Amino acid sequence: MATVTTAAPRIAVPGVLKHPVLRKLLLLALAAAILVPLANARWASGTWPAALTVDFTEPLTKASVWIIDNRDSHPLFLYFFGHISNAVVLAVRAVYLVLLAAGWAGVTAAASLVAWRVAGFRLAAGTGIAFLACGFLGMWIPTMQTLALMVVAVLASVAVGALLGLAAGLSDRMDRILRPVLDTMQVLPAYAYLLPVVLVFGMGVPAAVLATVVYAAPPMARLTALGLRGADKEVLEAVESLGTTARQRLLTARIPLARKELLLGLNQTIMMALSMAVIASVIGAGGLGDRVYQALGSVDVGAALAAGIPIVLLAVVLDRVTGAAGEALGDEPQPNGRARWAYALVAAVAVAVAGRLAGRLDWPDAWALNIAEPVNRAVDWMTDHLYSGVPVIGGTADWAAHFTTWVLDPVRDTLQWLPWWSVLLIVAALAWLIGTWRTALTAVLAMAAIGVLGVWEPSLDTLSQVLAAVAVTLVLGFATGIAAARSDRVERMLRPVLDVFQTMPQFVYLIPVVALFGVGRAPAVAAAVVYALPAVVRITTQGLRQVDPAALESARSLGATPAQQLRQVQLPLARPALLLAVNQGVVLVLAVVIIGSLVGGGALGYEVVAGLAQGDLATGLVAGAAIVCLGLMLDRVTQPTERRAKKGA
Amino acid sequence: MSTTTGTPVFSVEGLWKVFGPKAHRVPADPELAALTPAELRTRTGCTSAVRDVSFDVRKGEVFVVMGLSGSGKSTLVRCLTRLIEPTAGTIAIDGEDVRAMDKTRLRELRRHRAAMVFQHFGLLPHRSVLDNVAYGLEIQGVGKAERRERAAEVVAKVGLEGMEHRRPGQLSGGQRQRVGLARALAVDPEVLLFDEPFSALDPMIRRDMQEEVVRLHREEGRTMVFITHDLSEALKLGDRIALMRDGRVVQLGTPEEIVGSPADDYVREFVRDVPREQVMTVRTAMRPASAEETGSGPALAPDATVSEAIEAVARTGAPARVMDGARCLGVVDHERLLGVVAGTEHSAVAGAGKSVAGAGKSKEVA
Amino acid sequence: MRFRTTAVVAGASSLLLLTGCGAADMTKQASPFANAQGVKTVTLSVQSWVGAQANVAVAQYLLEHELGYRVDTVQIDEVPAWDALSQGRVDALLEDWGHPEEEQRYVKDKKTIVPGGDLGVTGHIGWYVPTYFAKQHPDVTDWKNLNKYADRMRTAESGGKGQLMDGSPSYVTNDKALVNNLDLDYQVVFAGSEAAQITQIKQFAKEKKPFLTYWYSPQWLFKKVPMTEVKLPEYKEGCDADAEKVACAYPHTPLQKYLNADFAKSGGEAAALLKKFKWTTEDQNEVSLMIAEQKLSPEEAAKKWVDSHESTWKAWLS
Repeated sequence: MATVTTAAPRIAVPGVLKHPVLRKLLLLALAAAILVPLANARWASGTWPAALTVDFTEPLTKASVWIIDNRDSHPLFLYFFGHISNAVVLAVRAVYLVLLAAGWAGVTAAASLVAWRVAGFRLAAGTGIAFLACGFLGMWIPTMQTLALMVVAVLASVAVGALLGLAAGLSDRMDRILRPVLDTMQVLPAYAYLLPVVLVFGMGVPAAVLATVVYAAPPMARLTALGLRGADKEVLEAVESLGTTARQRLLTARIPLARKELLLGLNQTIMMALSMAVIASVIGAGGLGDRVYQALGSVDVGAALAAGIPIVLLAVVLDRVTGAAGEALGDEPQPNGRARWAYALVAAVAVAVAGRLAGRLDWPDAWALNIAEPVNRAVDWMTDHLYSGVPVIGGTADWAAHFTTWVLDPVRDTLQWLPWWSVLLIVAALAWLIGTWRTALTAVLAMAAIGVLGVWEPSLDTLSQVLAAVAVTLVLGFATGIAAARSDRVERMLRPVLDVFQTMPQFVYLIPVVALFGVGRAPAVAAAVVYALPAVVRITTQGLRQVDPAALESARSLGATPAQQLRQVQLPLARPALLLAVNQGVVLVLAVVIIGSLVGGGALGYEVVAGLAQGDLATGLVAGAAIVCLGLMLDRVTQPTERRAKKGA
Repeated sequence: MSTTTGTPVFSVEGLWKVFGPKAHRVPADPELAALTPAELRTRTGCTSAVRDVSFDVRKGEVFVVMGLSGSGKSTLVRCLTRLIEPTAGTIAIDGEDVRAMDKTRLRELRRHRAAMVFQHFGLLPHRSVLDNVAYGLEIQGVGKAERRERAAEVVAKVGLEGMEHRRPGQLSGGQRQRVGLARALAVDPEVLLFDEPFSALDPMIRRDMQEEVVRLHREEGRTMVFITHDLSEALKLGDRIALMRDGRVVQLGTPEEIVGSPADDYVREFVRDVPREQVMTVRTAMRPASAEETGSGPALAPDATVSEAIEAVARTGAPARVMDGARCLGVVDHERLLGVVAGTEHSAVAGAGKSVAGAGKSKEVA
Repeated sequence: MRFRTTAVVAGASSLLLLTGCGAADMTKQASPFANAQGVKTVTLSVQSWVGAQANVAVAQYLLEHELGYRVDTVQIDEVPAWDALSQGRVDALLEDWGHPEEEQRYVKDKKTIVPGGDLGVTGHIGWYVPTYFAKQHPDVTDWKNLNKYADRMRTAESGGKGQLMDGSPSYVTNDKALVNNLDLDYQVVFAGSEAAQITQIKQFAKEKKPFLTYWYSPQWLFKKVPMTEVKLPEYKEGCDADAEKVACAYPHTPLQKYLNADFAKSGGEAAALLKKFKWTTEDQNEVSLMIAEQKLSPEEAAKKWVDSHESTWKAWLS
C-alpha cells in the first residue's frame, strides 16, 4: 500500500522538473558549444591560462609596505584609524579594569545575579559554577581579558548591526543594497576577516576587536532588519491610525515589536564574537584564545583544554541566558521587578566590596585544578593504542593513508586534470539546476575570479579537500541525525556533546587529530568534519522531527515499517532541512580550511597562515580572497532558491 | 439620538483608489474608468479597489459599508483618514478637505477626530491592557497619571475591569477586541471607524460585541463607520448601509430599503435569505386604511417590524393599524404581511435616505 | 530624522572626548591589558616554538618575582612581532632568527626598535633523519644519497616521492627550491604547525620508521627523538640571496633580542634585565624540555631553572 501512495510523487517530481532542467542544460550546452572552442583555441591549457590572471601580489605588497611606513605619520592614520584604534584600546582597558576591580568574587556574583534576574535560579547557579570553574582551571585573568574584549566587541557589533539593520528595516533601497552583502558575509570563514584589519591596524587588540565586530555585526543587522520588516502590519497601521509621528512609531511600536529578533540577534552576535575572539588570538588578541594557541605550541592538549573549557563554559552560559531572556519576553512582568534588580545590584556590589576588603581580588593560586595531566595521559593512551597495528580494522594512521590515496588524491587529480573551462561549466550547470541564472552567474564569476587571482591549482586542491570533508560529514551527520531523531535518549545524550564541539576552539582538537591521523590532508579533513558535524546533526534531527505528524500517522496507519516511514515519508518531507544541512556543512567545512592547514592541509589555507606568519599580507590576502570566492561559489551551488523550495514543498 | 441634519461628518465625493503603475491616469480617463476590473488589469496592470464612490456619513448615525472580500470596503475606510492615500476624489470631514491636509493637520485628525478598530485588533503585545488603551493619549503627550486614569475609565466601560495589567497575549479574542475598542474610545474621537472588527471572533462572542456596540451607540450617540462582510451584522447595526461590489457602491439605503427593494439582481441575490419580516417595517407593508379600519384593531408604531405586526394580527385576528400618534397612516392585514414574508410584496419604498431612524428604534434582530 | 543626526554628533563627540582631540598615533598605543591596577607591566612576545617560550618563561619569572612587574605574554609569529614591537604593543622580542628587511626598516629607518643584544644561543636550521635510521644507513646523512632512500620515506601524502616534512609557515624555509635545485626525488609536505610536526615525528619514532624532516636547533625534541643532520652543500655568504636558486645549507645564526625603543629608554629595571638576559643553548633546552616533555607549566619550569642557576641570573639583575 505504502509503495502505491509514494510511487505517484516519485514519478511526478522528475516529470515536473524534466522540462526546465532539460531546457537549462540545453541552453548551457549551446553556450558551451560556442564559447569553449573559442576559449580553447585562444588559451589551450588544462589549468587556468596564465594570460587571464592578474598579479595582485605586487600592488598589495606595495600597499602593505606603504601602510607600515606611514602608519605613524599619514593623517589618515593619525586622525581616523588612530582614533578608532585608541578608542578600542581605551574601551577594552576600561572594561578590563572594572572586571579586575570587581575581583573574582564580584564578577562571579554579578554574572550570577544578572542570570538570576533574566533567566532564573538554575541558570544563575550554572553561571556561578562556570565562572568559578574558570578560576579553578587557573584561567581567571585570561578569562577576564577575553571577557573585556568580548564586551567591547559585542557592544560595538550590536550598535553597528542595529544601525545597519535599522537602515535596512526602514528603507527599501538600503535593504536591497545591504541584504546581499550581509548574506555573503554570513558564509565567509572568520579567518578571511583577519588579514585586511591586520593590514591597517597591525597586530594587537584593536585589530582583533575590529575583526570581531566585522564578523559579529551582520547577524545583528540581518535580524534587526528582519524584525522591523516582519512586524505585524495591522499593529503598525493601528498605531498610525492613532496619529503617531514616524519617530513615535519607531520607538513605541516597531522596535518593541522586533524585540524577539533583536534578542536573537544579540544572542548570535555574542556567539560569533566569542568564536572570533578565540580565532583572533592569531593576530594578538590575548586572553583565552592565546592560551590555547600557546599550548598548541608545546603540543600540550591538556593545557589547551584547560583554556578551551572556559570558552565553552562562557559560550554555553551566554547562549542559555540570552536565549532564556528571549523566551521570557511575552510573560507578564513580575511584580516589583525593579526592586529585585536593585537587590541584585546591591548584592553584587556588596560581594565585590567584601572581596576587596578581604584582599581577595586575584584568584587564589592555591585553588587550582590540574586537568592537563590526566587529559594528556588519555591522549597518549589513545595514540598508543589506536594509531596503528590494531588487529582487523587497522590503525587510524592506516585509515588516513587509505583515505588520502583512495579519496583525496583521485578527487584532487581529477579536478586539476579537468580543463579550466569545463570546471566553470560544471559549476554553472550545478548552480543553475539548483537555483536561478543569477546564482549560476555569481558562482561562475566567483570561480573565474579564483583563476584571475592566479591561485587556480591550490584552490582546486582546497576544493577537493572540502568536497571530501563534506561527503564524510554528510554521511556521518545524516546517520547520527536520523538516530537522534528516532530516539529521544540518543538526542539527550548527544546534546551536550554537540554543544561542546560547536563552541570548543578548533585549536584544541588539532593535536589529537594529528596524533591519530598523522600530518597531511587527511587530518585536515578530520578536523573539518569534527567542526561541521554538530550543525549538520542538529539540522537533520530538527528537520526530521518537524515532519508533519499527520503524514507519519497516515503512513503508520497504512502499515509502513519504520524503515519505510523514514525513507518514504520523513526524508522526503524533511528535504528542505536536509538541503540546508548540506549548505551549512559546506560553509562550515570551508571555515576550517585555514585551521586545517595547521595540520598539513596545505593549499589555500597554508598560504593564508603563511601570509599572516611571514607578514606577507599580499600572499595571504590573495589566498584569503580565493577562499572567499570558493565560499561564494559553494554556497550558491548548494543553496536552493526560495522559488525552488516552494516548488519542492 | 434622533435624526440629525446639518453638515455631514464625512462627505465623500467621487473617490477612487487605484493600485499599480501610473494609477492617476485611470480615474482621469473616462475610457479607462469605465472598464471592468479584469479588463483594467490586463490593459494597464492596475487594480482598482475603490471606484467612484460617493456618500455622506451623518452625525450620530451608524454607517455600514458592506461587501464581500475584495469589494474594496477596507480600502475605502482607510482612505477616510488617508491611511491609504486616495487616487482621486474628495473627502471632507466636517466640511474640511482631508486630502488637502498637511502632515500635522492629518495627525490631528487621526489623534482627535477619527479612531479606528481593527479586525485583528492591532494591539501592542509588549504593553499591558491599560497601557494599550492609554497609547493614543500617550502619543498625544498626555501625562502618565492623567492618561492612566482616563484609560481606566474606558477599560471599565468596555467591561475589562481587573484585567488592566494583563498582556494582550493572555486575553481571549473577544477581550482583545474590547481592548481595541477601548483604545479607540479613550481618545474620545468624533467618529469611530470599525474595520470588520468582529469577523475574527466566535459567533457567540461576536453577538456580545455587536450588542456592546449597540449599547455604546445608544449611550453616547457617537458617529460610527462600520465595515463588515456579514449581512446580518450590517442589518443589525446599520442605520444606513452602503453595499459595495468590485469597488463601487451598488446600493445605499436603510436596511429596509436594501432588503425591501434591492437595486439590482446582485443585491437581490444577496438579501434573499434575510428574514424580511424582521427588517421590514409596517410603514412599508401597510396599505391605506378603509374608513371602518381606522377606528379599530391593534395599534402599531410606523417603525414596528412586520414580525411584531404578525404577532399582533395573529393575536387579534384583525388587521393592525399603523398609528403615528393619533393619526392612522394605514393598516396591515394578513395578506400584506404574508406578502412581505414571501417576498412578493414590492411596495414602493421611499427614496433612499428619506427616513433615518435613530438608535431608539427597535431593531431586535436575532 | 533629526535624532539620527543627533546620534551621529553624539557618537562623534564622545569618540573625540574619549580619544582627546587631535592626532592619535596608533603606533604608540600599548596593549589595553598593560599596567592594570597600578602594577607596571611588561608585554613579551612569544613565538610558537618552545625555545622561545623558555626564554619568556624565565624572563617573566624574574620580572615578576625579583622585580615585582606583571608580565603579559602574547603569542605572535616573528615577522608580525616586529610590527607589534615597533608599535609598542609588545615591549620585547627575545629570540629573533634574523630578519634583515625588518631590521633595516624598524631599527635603522624608523628607529622604533633597538637591538637588545645576543641571546647567547646559536640557531641552526637543517634537514634531519632519525639517528636510529642514520646508524643503520650511515650514507643517508649526505644529500647526494637521499634519492636512494626516497621510496623508504614515502607516505600517502607525498604520493610517489619521498616525504620531506616542513613545519610551521612562520619558519624560514628554502626547502622547495632546494629539492628542486638539488634534483631530489622528494615532495615537501607542510605540517602547517610545529605542534603537528612534533606529533608526527614522535609517532614515526615510536614505530622506528625512517623520515626526513626540516628541523632546527636548539630544540628540546632532540633529547626525545635523537636526530642526525643531513649534510647539504656548504653554506657560503650570499648563496641564499636568490630564493629561487638556493642550493646550499642554512646558516648558523646567533639569535638576537630586540626591544621597543621607548621601552628601552624608559623601561627601567625591566629593560635593563632584558638587555642583559643571556644564556646558553643547554640552559634553554633544559627549560624547554621541562615545559614540553614533563608538561610543567612555563612558570614551574622557570622556577626550577631559576632555583638551580642563581649565579647565571644574578648577573642579569646587577
